[in-house]
Amino acid sequence: MIEVEGLVKRYGRVSAVDGVTFTVEPGELLALLGPNGAGKSTTIRAITGLLRPTAGTVRVAGHDVLAASVAAKASLGYVPDRPYLYGKLTPRELLRFIARLHGVQDAAGRISHWLELFSLTDFGNELIEVLSHGMRQKLAFTAALLHEPQVLVVDEPMVGLDPRAARQVRQLLREYAAKGRTVLLTTHSLEVAEEVAHRVIVLDRGRILAQGDLASLRERAGVADAGLEEVFIRLLEQQEA
Amino acid sequence: MLLLGLRGRAALNSALRSPARLVFAAAFLGLTGWGIFELASAGTRLVDDFPAIDTIADAVLQRSLEGLFLILMAGVAFTSITGSITTLYGSNDLPFLLAQPVAAWRVFGLKLTETYITTAFLPAFLTVPVLLGIGAARDASLAYLPIALAAVLALYAIPVAAGSLFALVLMRIAPAGRVKEVATALSVLLAAGLVLGLRLLRPEQLVALSAEEFEQLLGGFAALQLGWLPSTWAASGVWAALEGRIGPMTMLLMVAALLLLALTAWLAATAYQAGWVRSLDTARLRLDPTPRGAAWWERLLSGRTGALIAKDTRLLLRDPGQWSQLLVLAALAGVYLVGVGSIDVPLRQFQDVLGALNLVFIGFMLAGVGMRLAFPLVSLEGEGYWILQTAPVTSSQVVRAKFLHALPPLLLLGGGLGLAIALLVDMSPALAFVAPVAGICSAIATTALGVGLGAAHPRFSASNPNEIPLSAGGLAYMALAFGHAVLQMLLLVIPSQRSLLGRAGSYWSTPEGMLVLGVMLVTTVVISLAALAYGSSRLARFEQGTP
Repeated sequence: MIEVEGLVKRYGRVSAVDGVTFTVEPGELLALLGPNGAGKSTTIRAITGLLRPTAGTVRVAGHDVLAASVAAKASLGYVPDRPYLYGKLTPRELLRFIARLHGVQDAAGRISHWLELFSLTDFGNELIEVLSHGMRQKLAFTAALLHEPQVLVVDEPMVGLDPRAARQVRQLLREYAAKGRTVLLTTHSLEVAEEVAHRVIVLDRGRILAQGDLASLRERAGVADAGLEEVFIRLLEQQEA
Repeated sequence: MLLLGLRGRAALNSALRSPARLVFAAAFLGLTGWGIFELASAGTRLVDDFPAIDTIADAVLQRSLEGLFLILMAGVAFTSITGSITTLYGSNDLPFLLAQPVAAWRVFGLKLTETYITTAFLPAFLTVPVLLGIGAARDASLAYLPIALAAVLALYAIPVAAGSLFALVLMRIAPAGRVKEVATALSVLLAAGLVLGLRLLRPEQLVALSAEEFEQLLGGFAALQLGWLPSTWAASGVWAALEGRIGPMTMLLMVAALLLLALTAWLAATAYQAGWVRSLDTARLRLDPTPRGAAWWERLLSGRTGALIAKDTRLLLRDPGQWSQLLVLAALAGVYLVGVGSIDVPLRQFQDVLGALNLVFIGFMLAGVGMRLAFPLVSLEGEGYWILQTAPVTSSQVVRAKFLHALPPLLLLGGGLGLAIALLVDMSPALAFVAPVAGICSAIATTALGVGLGAAHPRFSASNPNEIPLSAGGLAYMALAFGHAVLQMLLLVIPSQRSLLGRAGSYWSTPEGMLVLGVMLVTTVVISLAALAYGSSRLARFEQGTP
């Protein structure tokens, strides 16, 4: 479960996020949408402990991200949009390192399983620096899922993935949430959000513009039978008007 | 010029984003430059006023300048081998620039200029105050500086071009995917060999010469002519500039530099387009699906701290930027031991004082080594630091792991040199006992200060490990590490004094000896723990992606 309450992040006079409150329940897959500069990345960074909020609290699996950071991070898996990994390690070495940080039992078996799932077995002993962007993205997924976290946070999951891997990731996200885990993703691909998310939050200029499932968002935007893309654009236009 | 202007604008924008760093760098460079200027002008006046050599003063100064140019030129050549691989062939903007409607040789001309700036900036910066100092001492005309500067800038272009050409050859012959490793190893070994060679000449023998022998030596030095070396052309050009004229050697230097740069840019463009730089490509993938387990040494390192140390050790052994530092360390130790071994002191008491002084010097040396080995360790996590920030590890565990990772080489250097000094100088048993202890204390404090202050002032976006210590944190580290060495010196004064008086027999079993030893150990532990705690607490507050 992710609980974000009154989250504020200011850089000087500029508010990147201004009083955002939401919860993602176990078994739920929530998509965070918004135009560039809406505050999605800042919100994600606050949830993953990469930055400290100016005000408000963030709890991951019941643990405060600041006060009980180690417990919160032990329950968290994170896939960034740009997967900077240690280029001079091999995928197996990186995953072994991650497994040791998380105290994973039977690490070797799990590593082989995930590498196989993402068709990376042949590349397991090559240096990460020689892998393509898509392969690194798949490796970042593997690293995030290795310890089977209660909460999975994914920033732009489809960047660099080939169509087969993209479909695999969509399926994996759905299945992961179906197991009772919490999944939060940000994406610019409204098709992906529409296909996999149970609920959507639209952020704009650091505030929540709208939230709910597709049906309630359609109602809010005043467009019946429209896709998420149309709904999203209509909501932004209403806000600007 | 357009490309160069764009690059200049990008550099200016980047500098203006952090004005505090800019002011710090300007103040640091300004103070250093002023110091060099004073030294150069005083040195020139000293030689000019030296009574016995007034007829050859010019030649002595010119040969000295040639020597300085030669050393700096060699430095530029070594750094440009690795630097040119990064800027000429590994730049991220190269595909973008080559896709523009601009001739390839122009793009590579820009890249060569970048190589020139990154590798020759520091030597050129060190040279300018020297030129100013000589000019001030000789009351040079206004035309002196621009002409001398042109000669020096042309001089450093030659090793840049030569280093880049050598790198180009390496691209062809080095094993695929290993060109950076080969270039780094060659550069470090050549530089270490040069320093070791110079040290083996034993310059300290000069102080043992009589006045006649010294005059004879200076005469020979002044008559030394190495006209085929560009450093000689540059020194000759500077001397012509002192008379306010552009000498033939300056012209020769400038023509040679321009020709070499043009040839290198053209060759680099041709080689790149012909796919000649195959060593930049990745080695052929082996695609081995065998699930390889942890190495035996990795299994010995338990827990999260152990996992962090194992990861850092692998990265150290695979990253040429990191393992080359160990080669430098070994070369430094070799040079130092050769130097100490060549000193002949007949009296036991003076041997003890000399040994104690050397222990202090080891402290200073360790401070320098820690600047390269310990201070950048946290920052070397680079853009991958998010992995640790989102993992269930505390900043204290990260800092502790970095400390334990950096400690063994510094401990080996500090303790080993301390022991070697005791044996080489043949210190008395009392001081021979404390020598390795002092070396170990210096190593521990230096490592903790480096890791702690490096963690407190991380620079994860630094493009080059050498940039990392250029900060207020780096300066604080140097001040504190030197402070610790001075403290050790003050503590060693007491047993050295007892030794001079011949009363150091069983010094360490006396209350005073135990107190000195206790203070040495306690201050080391306190300084180390405080530095690590400070680093951990500052690192915990670091925010990723803050604009």
